[in-house]
Amino acid sequence: MGGMFDDRSPIYRQIAERIKADVLSEALKGDEQVMSTNQYAAFYRINPATAAKAFQQLVDEGVLYKKRGIGMFVSPDARDRLRKARRETFFADVVEPMVTEARAIGIPLTEIIARIQELED
Amino acid sequence: MRTDVEDLVLRYGEATALDRMTFSLAENKIYGLLGRNGSGKTSLLSVLAGFRRETSGRVRVDGRPVFENGALTREISLIRDAGETIDIGTVGDVFYFAEWLRPRWDGAFARELLDLFGLKPKMNVKTMSKGQRSALGVVVGLAGRAPLTMFDEAYLGMDAPSRYAFYDALLADYAEHPRTIILSTHLIEEIGALFEDVLIIDRGRLVVHEDRDTLLSRGTSVTGPAAQVEAFTAGMNVLGTKELGPTRSAAVYGELDEARRRKAAEAGLELGPISLQDLFVHLTGGTSR
Amino acid sequence: MRFPSRLFAAQAWFAAMAWLVLAGVIAVIVLAVVLAAGPPRQSVWEQASQVPRWFTLFVGVFMVREYLPLYIAHGQTRRRFTGHLALTVLAYAPYAAALVTLGFLLEALVYAAAGWPQALDRAHLYSSPTQVHLVFAEYLVEILAWTSVGCLLGAAFYRWGAGGILMIPPAAAMILLAEGSVGAPANLPMLASRLRVDLAVYPALALGVALLTFLVATGLTWTLIRDMPLRNRLA
Repeated sequence: MGGMFDDRSPIYRQIAERIKADVLSEALKGDEQVMSTNQYAAFYRINPATAAKAFQQLVDEGVLYKKRGIGMFVSPDARDRLRKARRETFFADVVEPMVTEARAIGIPLTEIIARIQELED
Repeated sequence: MRTDVEDLVLRYGEATALDRMTFSLAENKIYGLLGRNGSGKTSLLSVLAGFRRETSGRVRVDGRPVFENGALTREISLIRDAGETIDIGTVGDVFYFAEWLRPRWDGAFARELLDLFGLKPKMNVKTMSKGQRSALGVVVGLAGRAPLTMFDEAYLGMDAPSRYAFYDALLADYAEHPRTIILSTHLIEEIGALFEDVLIIDRGRLVVHEDRDTLLSRGTSVTGPAAQVEAFTAGMNVLGTKELGPTRSAAVYGELDEARRRKAAEAGLELGPISLQDLFVHLTGGTSR
Repeated sequence: MRFPSRLFAAQAWFAAMAWLVLAGVIAVIVLAVVLAAGPPRQSVWEQASQVPRWFTLFVGVFMVREYLPLYIAHGQTRRRFTGHLALTVLAYAPYAAALVTLGFLLEALVYAAAGWPQALDRAHLYSSPTQVHLVFAEYLVEILAWTSVGCLLGAAFYRWGAGGILMIPPAAAMILLAEGSVGAPANLPMLASRLRVDLAVYPALALGVALLTFLVATGLTWTLIRDMPLRNRLA
């Protein structure tokens, strides 16, 4: 609602993705407290249970941990875990679709490699 | 409050408004009640609130029958656009009776909400605009803090900024004072994210009662060449189809497992989600009747 | 059941405002009569005292039509509403009767100061407007009957819509009986002088008739609203 979310996946997953992005970019650091489910609910105008579901998913994935009676915190190793996980899926998620696309529209792989080297310099 | 409805039937003379409904609502969740005009939303909520007596079946809240049970109905609030609670005198008079009859009335909160919607205690309810009357109904419904609070299209006359102010006030107060809330609405796109569970009724029958995310995960649009879509969706519950030249898009209802998703990808079909609004339209008989 | 203070207070305030308006209008009429035709030869308030009947009938209708939905929508039972309604009518009738009596007393003061005769036009329970207890008793009887019959009509029209018209004959019969008990013509439209109940006029009998009317009307009101659904939308 309010244009904050698309319809592509459940809202709780989109919230989880946003928190992960914040952890990766270090907007959220290790052992830092994240906003409460009610704050998330109010901010995004969603049901608090939806925000709670996002948090539960992140706890299960080891990105967040819970301090009883205080709230949710970023796991100290969250960023490393996320980076590792993203590295594992990088080729499947990013490179392979790119190669498929390049083939479909007729860009030779050598040209792509050249461009990557250009960016590296 | 826990609400149990069993085999509920409501008839108006010959017409059947509610046809053997059975469901249970848990405590402290926000429910969305969706249905087309005349599907029985107002009838259902009216029975839950004890505004009318069921023709047959059972309506229990916290295990006890609702109708004429004062200990229960004091804890139940239904705000309809007929405006029963806001029809006499001025805004001040409306509050005068609300604080007298509602055991959990919060006067300070009511005045805060009044400011939020730009209403004044001296305003005469008979000369208010439709939007102002709707807003006053919302104020009475929220400040009453009933453990079972229902709004039946109560915010329909309000303009968009007022509606968003209502959603925000509702969420903030729900966070502080959790209670069971039922919102019946046509504004599904706007308010859908507020629901934890969704009930869809059609022609007096309960069609869906599901966690919102689960319900959404059941709806998938399958798009691609007509023949492939036809083959892939054979035997599935197809809610509706649209065609654009050689391309067909079918809305299917039901969980798609990994194997089927892979099959779709292999057939060059695109799978996408269906919005709550579209799902609702499909599940209640398409775009026309 | 505790006394329904706020339901009564709202009606009491409304009646006080109506009394002020009526008293103002009567004062203007008296003044106009004096200027145009000289000193009045009889009580003007006696004529004005027919207004409270219709006003309190309306109050009875209004209380059921407006407050029953309010009560139910605020989670109160029909049973509790009927109890509150009965207590309010019982408190309201002497209150409104006292207002009418007050009108006669104020008129007596003015007339006495000006030296005008406060003569009566027709038969009453009282023979002089300064017989305070009898004046009060007559209007208590009238208002108790008209208000409780108003509640009954309000319930009948809310429940049956236009079919509420069926309740008018029994309602009119109750009013005629109560009016007859205080020696007054009922002044119902069309039936005015032909239909009247001639009863021997005794204050105790009149009060008994009023109480009976109240009990019957309230009992019938209860049978109408005990399982009455709230309308989905009022016309």
